[in-house]
Amino acid sequence: MSNETYTSSNRIFKELFDEIGKVIVGQREAVEQILIAIMCNSHALVESNPGLAKTLTISTVSKALDLKFSRIQCTPDLMPSDITGTYIIEDIGGKKQFRFEAGPVFANIVLADEINRASPKTQSAMLEAMQEKQVTVGNKTYPLDKPFFVLATQNPIEMEGTYPLPEAQLDRFLLKILMDYPTREDENEIVNRYTKNIIPSVDKVISKSEVLDLQKLTRDVPIAEDIKSRAINIVIATRAKNENIEYGASPRASIGIILAAKARALIKGRNYVSEEDIDAMAYPVLRHRVILTFESERKGMTTDQVVADILKSVK
Amino acid sequence: MDEFLVKLQKLKSGIFSRMKLLFLLDMIAIFSIFYSIFIIINMEYFLNKTTFYIPFPISFIPPVLALLFGAGIAFLLHRKDRKINLYILIEKKFSELKEKLRTAYDNRDESNIILDALKSEVSGGLDKVSSEQILTTGNLISRLVITIIFLSGTVIIAQNPDTRIPVQTIEDLGNTLTGNGNNDIQEEPGDPEEFGKAGGIETKPKIASIEGKNIDLTIFPGYEQGYELKDVSQTQNQFIKSAAFPVDILGSNVSDGGYSLLMKKTETEKQLINKYAVERSKI
Repeated sequence: MSNETYTSSNRIFKELFDEIGKVIVGQREAVEQILIAIMCNSHALVESNPGLAKTLTISTVSKALDLKFSRIQCTPDLMPSDITGTYIIEDIGGKKQFRFEAGPVFANIVLADEINRASPKTQSAMLEAMQEKQVTVGNKTYPLDKPFFVLATQNPIEMEGTYPLPEAQLDRFLLKILMDYPTREDENEIVNRYTKNIIPSVDKVISKSEVLDLQKLTRDVPIAEDIKSRAINIVIATRAKNENIEYGASPRASIGIILAAKARALIKGRNYVSEEDIDAMAYPVLRHRVILTFESERKGMTTDQVVADILKSVK
Repeated sequence: MDEFLVKLQKLKSGIFSRMKLLFLLDMIAIFSIFYSIFIIINMEYFLNKTTFYIPFPISFIPPVLALLFGAGIAFLLHRKDRKINLYILIEKKFSELKEKLRTAYDNRDESNIILDALKSEVSGGLDKVSSEQILTTGNLISRLVITIIFLSGTVIIAQNPDTRIPVQTIEDLGNTLTGNGNNDIQEEPGDPEEFGKAGGIETKPKIASIEGKNIDLTIFPGYEQGYELKDVSQTQNQFIKSAAFPVDILGSNVSDGGYSLLMKKTETEKQLINKYAVERSKI
């Protein structure tokens, strides 16, 4: 790990945001959370209505980070081999041989678009690759390139014919990012940028090795004991008796909050984790891990509201 | 040891020295208050009256007792001093060190690029911090002034006998409070012969002579139902107007002088006077 990467990390993140901002208007929080998930060497789930530039955002991020990007459009007939790759017979010098043809999962950044439309079998193959960071086809195991980041998207509408991800698999995503509609000013800017002949493009800001360095640096960001305690207490509070919560978050959420808070601190140019980082990251980390009761859902309550209540009550 | 830890240690010892000084000043101030009270109430005089054996000069007791009170109360007031989270105290005063100081301290045994940068930043920040800023000199001086005032007061009280409350007043007050006063007054029993005569009422006799017999008037405390004052009904002993009864003035309690004068009258006069008395009794 180079000392230089740390000293220039402030500049790197500033340039990254500036560069991504050339293409993506607004959505600063979503972009920040995608970068946090990448810095934590984990994965993220994005939920938004159609047409909010999910694909554009992630492809822009991959270009700025100089990483290989691939996109998988998930459909019910998508097979696991369509993701992982398969053996094909190849004729080499009159001899027929099996050759492994890598699937789209062999990239640094993979966009699994509408993951809930893929069959559970295909979802499992995808999630196994995410967890193990390797793919086994036949008898051979192929490690995935580093860094490896999956951004899966879910559409909150049109739920017919979908296979919602089970809670155990949702837990594997570090963050659940919500992308909301842009403000009027932002929408005006989007229209201005994308109705001209010159479509905005993005330049590479850092190299793959620098991304890996930043991932290592993220884990080195120190955290005070009382701040760490707060993160753990927040997660434990989701498991305590609460009339709005059916199931609380697992200890993986505690790891997630602290790791994400470290990445946020690094992105914000701080060399320590602040309580503010913990509170900010509690929402995307717990959003998909806390299951609300039927009664709370009936009342129209969201997990963010429940998390906000917990944050107020936890010391 | 990291540079910031050395500075922190120095700062800590500086703050604790000031805390010790504050403890000492508080102890002296409280000692002064108690010693003054002991002088004012003539504690030494009362200690001299006690029957307990005291193996050392009695004059030592008030200051020693005041010192013990002073030390005890000062200890109670400062009992949380050692538990004070110094890092939070510093972070509150110096916002630029907020969260940084505890983070650096909690991770003092580790080392990496980011942590080293943080430690060096904290070390630089601690250069601006001194124990005088945490526990201000103004605070110390004000406490010192208060202590001097109390001490001066004690010296004045000790040298001026007029400031002491008279022993008799304290004794009386003590008797009133404890209720021992009535028991201590030994009343001489009144002369039974004097009871009923002019001025005899002041003698408060316990034995009265009635029809030649000595009757003990002492009221003994009652027992069982009805003997307590609260148990007596308000309406229990009300006077009931009796029926009219023919008056016989000659048979009534007329004074000795009046009776002999009546006896000298004629029968007619006697009957007339009696008739008059009967008529008057009907009005």
